[in-house]
Amino acid sequence: MSQSPSALSNQSPETTEKQQEKLTQESSPSNEQGNSMTEYYELQRTLYIYTLTLMGLIFVPVWYFYSLNTALNYLLGALVSLVYLRFLAKDVERLGQQEQRIGGKGLGIFAILIIVASKWQQLSILPVFLGFLTYKGGIIFYMLQSVFSASGELDSEITNTNVSEESSPK
Amino acid sequence: MDINSASVIAAALAIGLAAIGPGIGQGNASGQAVAGIARQPEAEGKIRGTLLLTLAFMESLTIYGLVVALVLLFANPFV
Repeated sequence: MSQSPSALSNQSPETTEKQQEKLTQESSPSNEQGNSMTEYYELQRTLYIYTLTLMGLIFVPVWYFYSLNTALNYLLGALVSLVYLRFLAKDVERLGQQEQRIGGKGLGIFAILIIVASKWQQLSILPVFLGFLTYKGGIIFYMLQSVFSASGELDSEITNTNVSEESSPK
Repeated sequence: MDINSASVIAAALAIGLAAIGPGIGQGNASGQAVAGIARQPEAEGKIRGTLLLTLAFMESLTIYGLVVALVLLFANPFV
């Protein structure tokens, strides 16, 4: 990646300037920060996908074993949990840049959901609340997956080290 | 004391007590995360990701208290 100064001095001045510019761009803090934030956006997307998948997987059995009304109640709770997760992710993204409270809006929409569910006859509280907990299932699934993938990588590294130690001549 | 008054007091206690622990925890976690980002800006994405996951878990404790309080206020099974 980086070249020695002597190697740079042998090239034409234009090429050297371009290369230096490129190196500066690659190692600049803003670029590093951008790459780092990509990881965060990827995590957000993964959580949304897991929550949506879990929502679809749970919706069908609830419809089959209970009723369409209960399943729709569940779906409403799960959709609000997605919105809640979005608000939380936005709050965490803005943390340290603006002075604000974390999770205020999310709790607000959840409180509105429960109040509406308790007042409106067609909605029942339990399926809505359990639907709201879907985001947590998604997070737990993500954490379990990351723990197992990390332990799998560790195991393969240990195996590789053992194999290379055994194959190396003494 | 009738059941309505007791429910209102119970709801207030439920949400109030349920907010103390997660409030302290979230404040600590966010403060430490901001300090970590300031120290290591290149790890910002990882720190924010971990913070998002921990905050989601912590806030669910407040949500449980909120549910109990709202059920006591709007759908009280004892009234």
